[in-house]
Amino acid sequence: MSIVFLILSILSMAAAIAVKVMFVPASDGIDISGAHVFFTIKMPIQDLPITEAQVNSWCVILAVLFLCLFLTTGLKTRNISIRQMVAEWIVEKVTGLVRTNMGEYFEGFAPFIAAILGLSGFSSLSSLLGLFPPTSDINIIAGWAILVFFLITYYKMKAGPWIYLKSFGQPQPLLAPLNIISEVATPISMAFRHYGNVLSGSIISVLIAVGLTKLSNSLFSFLPGALADFPYLRIGIPAVLSIYFDLFSGCLQAFIFAILTMLYVAGGFPAEEYAARKKRRQERAAAKAARSQTAGKHADN
Amino acid sequence: MQDLDIISVNIWHIVISLANLVILFLILKKLLFKPVKKIVDKRQKEIESEYKKAEKTQAEADAIKAEWEGKMATAEAEADKIISDAVERADSRNEVMLYESREKADQIIRKAKADIERERKDARETIKKEIVDVSQTLSEQIIGREINMDDHRDLIDKAIDKIGEEQ
Amino acid sequence: MLELAIGIILGGCALGAGCAMIAGIGPGIGEGHAVAKACEAIGRQPECKGDVTSTMLMGCAVAETTGLYALVIAILLIFVAPGRFVDLLMTTIGG
Repeated sequence: MSIVFLILSILSMAAAIAVKVMFVPASDGIDISGAHVFFTIKMPIQDLPITEAQVNSWCVILAVLFLCLFLTTGLKTRNISIRQMVAEWIVEKVTGLVRTNMGEYFEGFAPFIAAILGLSGFSSLSSLLGLFPPTSDINIIAGWAILVFFLITYYKMKAGPWIYLKSFGQPQPLLAPLNIISEVATPISMAFRHYGNVLSGSIISVLIAVGLTKLSNSLFSFLPGALADFPYLRIGIPAVLSIYFDLFSGCLQAFIFAILTMLYVAGGFPAEEYAARKKRRQERAAAKAARSQTAGKHADN
Repeated sequence: MQDLDIISVNIWHIVISLANLVILFLILKKLLFKPVKKIVDKRQKEIESEYKKAEKTQAEADAIKAEWEGKMATAEAEADKIISDAVERADSRNEVMLYESREKADQIIRKAKADIERERKDARETIKKEIVDVSQTLSEQIIGREINMDDHRDLIDKAIDKIGEEQ
Repeated sequence: MLELAIGIILGGCALGAGCAMIAGIGPGIGEGHAVAKACEAIGRQPECKGDVTSTMLMGCAVAETTGLYALVIAILLIFVAPGRFVDLLMTTIGG
């Protein structure tokens, strides 16, 4: 039963490869361009082009969904299987990470951090399959960064909008514009950090591929006919670079995005003011309850 | 269709990817974290109940063990008492027997000694008598006349006593 | 005249991209410094190697950000800006 989900998970990545093979015109891998546009939908503000990056990220989500189902079918309390050990390990690690970085109050953030890690990591790793990595499209990362920005603002507002507004003029009211700029710069810097890392990796890969093609053409020009045009040096050598740029850099950037999310959200949350406000509210509610009780007594009398 | 520019901002793309992240968050929450947390909690409860059960059985076993140990201790004491009683009885009987046998032996020895003494006395008496008779006859023959028995009896007795002392 | 204008646009964009990448010096120095300090720390306390390495990687990745901003600007100048500027020129002339 569970193996079906694993097969479905692999199939969803295979579907992304199939879509690429069928609809994206073949290139020799030496052009620097954005995602391929499959078709465009008319939308109010701006037309919505459905691109490779979108399709790939949906495929990644499907793969993660089936992977979750694969990991959590047939959970038992004893004699646990390796699948369940992996699932429990993931949950335990992410929860521990969130607890150490954000504290007990934000423990509900664990699935969100796991979602960031999983989506970003698998998106970056999808370039190992020869797909267009969704993380090298600025729109995808910008969406995540804006969500993180909403979360930061929401948790800053938790102690009341007045405290949030007052925090802009914190050391000096004159510095308010700079504070606003730094507030807006947070999601932008997060988005560009991740995007730039993945994109720089792919650009360097393309440059290396161009260089190796030229080099092998000049080295093997003595071979007859079509044999001379084959880029021999592009076999194997780019794979070594791909270990750094796809595997290491992709995972590291996913981790950094998650860590920065946790730090920003937990750092922006005014814990003391929130606790004070909660206490005040409770007191007020208690006073109200007491008053209504006494009023009821009066009414009875 | 052609490719996008390498950097092109599209508001709908941003919204869609934002929604994607939220959807993945919900998927992970419902399908990964919730069941795993549930199963971990269940296991925790099971372990606690097992611990309680184990503690209960341990307490019961301890009680039974204590009971048995008490019983064993009393049994041992009883056995010790029986053994010591038996030993004591045996010892006393032994002593009695030893005493009796020693008594008997002493009696036998005493009797024997008395017998020996009496025999010796008898023998001495007979020998004395015979010596007196022999010496009377000898002296009758030598002197040729009958000596007065009463006169010389003392003399002879003295001589024989001297002989007995010299022996 | 139009060729000259387009040439100036292309040349200016390429020059700007090159200048932007001067920013690559900063993260280079910074990351080198971070790695040197991490090496010192590992030399002093070899038992903390794992912690030091992971923290150093985190710091390096964050320090790399400024370089990546420059990279993004350079990419914009090379791949996006010339087309936009030529379009602008054409509309100006046509208008």
